[in-house]
Amino acid sequence: MPPVIDKKKCIGCTTCAQICPLDVYGPVIKGQKPEVLYPNECWHCRACEIDCPVGAISMTYPLPMMLLRRPKSMIKKEGAKK
Amino acid sequence: MIKVNPPVQCDVLIVGGGTAGLMAAIAAAEKGAKVIVAEKADTRRSGGGATGNDHFGCYIPGYHESVESYMHELEQGMCKGADPKVQRVFVERTFEVVKDWEKWGINMRPFGDDYVFEGHSLPGHPKCFLKIDGRDQKKCLTNEARKRGAIIDNRTSVTRYISRDGRVVGAIAIDISKPEPEIKVYEAKSIISVTGTGARVYPAVAPSCLFNVANCPAGTGTGRVASYEIGATMVNFDKPRAHIGPRYFVRGGKGTWIGACCDADGKAVGIVGRPEPGEQDITTDICQEVFDLSKKNGTGPIFMDCTENPKETMEHMKEGFYSEGISSLLDAMDQQGISLEEDMIEWGRYLPHIQYSGTCINEKCETNVPGLYSAGDECGNFFCGVSGAAVTGRIAGENAAEYVKSVDSFAEIADAPEIKEAQEFYSSLMDREAGSYWEELNYAVQNIMRDYASIETPRSENLLSCGIYYLEELDRIARQRIKCANSHELMRALEAFDILALGRLILISARDRKESRGLHKRADYPYTNPLWNTLSMTIQKVDGEDHTEMRKL
Ligand SMILES: Cc1cc2nc3c(=O)[nH]c(=O)nc-3n(C[C@H](O)[C@H](O)[C@H](O)COP(=O)(O)OP(=O)(O)OC[C@H]3O[C@@H](n4cnc5c(N)ncnc54)[C@H](O)[C@@H]3O)c2cc1C
Ligand code: SF4
Ligand code: SF4
Repeated sequence: MPPVIDKKKCIGCTTCAQICPLDVYGPVIKGQKPEVLYPNECWHCRACEIDCPVGAISMTYPLPMMLLRRPKSMIKKEGAKK
Repeated sequence: MIKVNPPVQCDVLIVGGGTAGLMAAIAAAEKGAKVIVAEKADTRRSGGGATGNDHFGCYIPGYHESVESYMHELEQGMCKGADPKVQRVFVERTFEVVKDWEKWGINMRPFGDDYVFEGHSLPGHPKCFLKIDGRDQKKCLTNEARKRGAIIDNRTSVTRYISRDGRVVGAIAIDISKPEPEIKVYEAKSIISVTGTGARVYPAVAPSCLFNVANCPAGTGTGRVASYEIGATMVNFDKPRAHIGPRYFVRGGKGTWIGACCDADGKAVGIVGRPEPGEQDITTDICQEVFDLSKKNGTGPIFMDCTENPKETMEHMKEGFYSEGISSLLDAMDQQGISLEEDMIEWGRYLPHIQYSGTCINEKCETNVPGLYSAGDECGNFFCGVSGAAVTGRIAGENAAEYVKSVDSFAEIADAPEIKEAQEFYSSLMDREAGSYWEELNYAVQNIMRDYASIETPRSENLLSCGIYYLEELDRIARQRIKCANSHELMRALEAFDILALGRLILISARDRKESRGLHKRADYPYTNPLWNTLSMTIQKVDGEDHTEMRKL
């Protein structure tokens, strides 16, 4: 579920649903708090999170998108190979 | 049957409200044309620049030596292979756009009074890209377009263009603002087709995440396919371009990263060794073989090492992630407990997205179809990212506004067979009770593209010809099988058909380039033919047939 709306904070302004470049929230319904209808179609651009006036949206990133890191400390521990 | 609304008329219809589309709208409306922008999302936050871009290619007389030397730098760096005629008019008009963007509230000098150039430049060479803060650029451009009277039809996904007697006369779209789709028809004297990149043609790096792509996944090649269908020439589909960047979180905006390309031992492997502190590693722009070879020969993986950045550089870079529209990477790192001060991040090559290949334009942004213009990422013979889109969008808008003065009246298309056909086809997808989802079609196209027009293994006449046949069969089957429950799914399904059509044009163009060049490697034609250095592969529909030709543009 990429964007998550905190329904307690959301004031139902529909900004997120209006501006999403991928229509993840589907059509805007006036006066209704949007739902994340198409979570798999999120581009993780964060526009909805940035534009939400009350900070009700946070992002979760799908596991297959995990970033791959190599801590520099590991190189020191393992010793750089020649 | 899906409802068809009565046609709406305008002088200039702009298809796609990205950076190019909004700049075209501003220019055409300023010249007095009645302008409608049809945008499938919302122009305030859509396209490649949705939440920002921060490297703006710009020539400043006095700062740079000459237009020629600036063009030479672009050619050596990020923007290889552009048509020099188009590139010249672009370069000449970049600074004028910078000044206008500044007037309109876009922060072109985020570091004080001076213009600062940074990133995407060869070490020791003059720098070509202004470092800007583009995070709200789309909102500012939307305001300016509205101020000048342009009408913006958001949640309107254009599907086809219509021409009569060789001229463009209108377009068909679906309205996705309500769950039940409706067809919109535009009668327009001119169309500016600016739908951005072609994403989702090749598989994503993380197979289950279809929308985890470098550029905006809403760009699905529709402008190219619709233009092709009415006779516009396409160019460079045979030349694959693949982006590189972090894995498995795929994202453009690599110029913002400051660090060194290293192997797992932290040893610099880039073409300049470890760049000067504060400098981007240019390897990521001009020598992507480093990533490809390390994967093939087992010396990988390759990492981006930012750990040695001085503190101020690190802060500057992280701020750049916000102006570049890639702050989600920082958010994801935060959530994962990654620290750029301590961790190297793996980078790799992504599969191709369709950029630098598409509609062929001239220096007025005209296509070969009278009344049809194109600009920005959709073009096949010119590319310079956000500033390229801004300047060519402006040029297209100016010329389209001029062109419509020579068109006396609107063609009546309310009863056009194209609209009837679209209505029947779209309705059949909506009415089907059992069938396949649009995702299946998208994945099926990606399978074929990966295996029959690969950049990982050589291509050949046999592979490419089989691939073309498979795509055509897939198209026939899918037309009988896809079902959609609402307007959103209908939009996605029609996108998937365009992705298929785009893939087919790529395969045909690649089949007919009988040599190897760049990432286009042919097992049956392993050499690069120097006699073809100045020729580009074009494809055009002539009398209903696909016609390819190697041409000097
Ligand atoms: C994260 C990121 C960072 C980048 N950073 C830089 C940078 O720093 N410098 C740089 O030069 N470039 C950068 N780029 C590239 C730059 O964003 C693009 O080159 C630029 O946005 C192209 O503009 P465009 O108008 O051609 O296309 P887009 O901005 O992508 O606009 C296309 C528009 O068309 C709409 N659309 C598509 N199909 C249809 C349809 N059928 N009907 C209606 N509307 C449709 C889309 O929703 C979109 O709004 C970056 C890209 C990304 C993704
Ligand atoms: S992050 Fe972007 S794509 Fe995802 S839901 Fe928010 S606005 Fe839409
Ligand atoms: S933008 Fe925020 S407050 Fe407005 S509807 Fe969306 S989640 Fe609710």
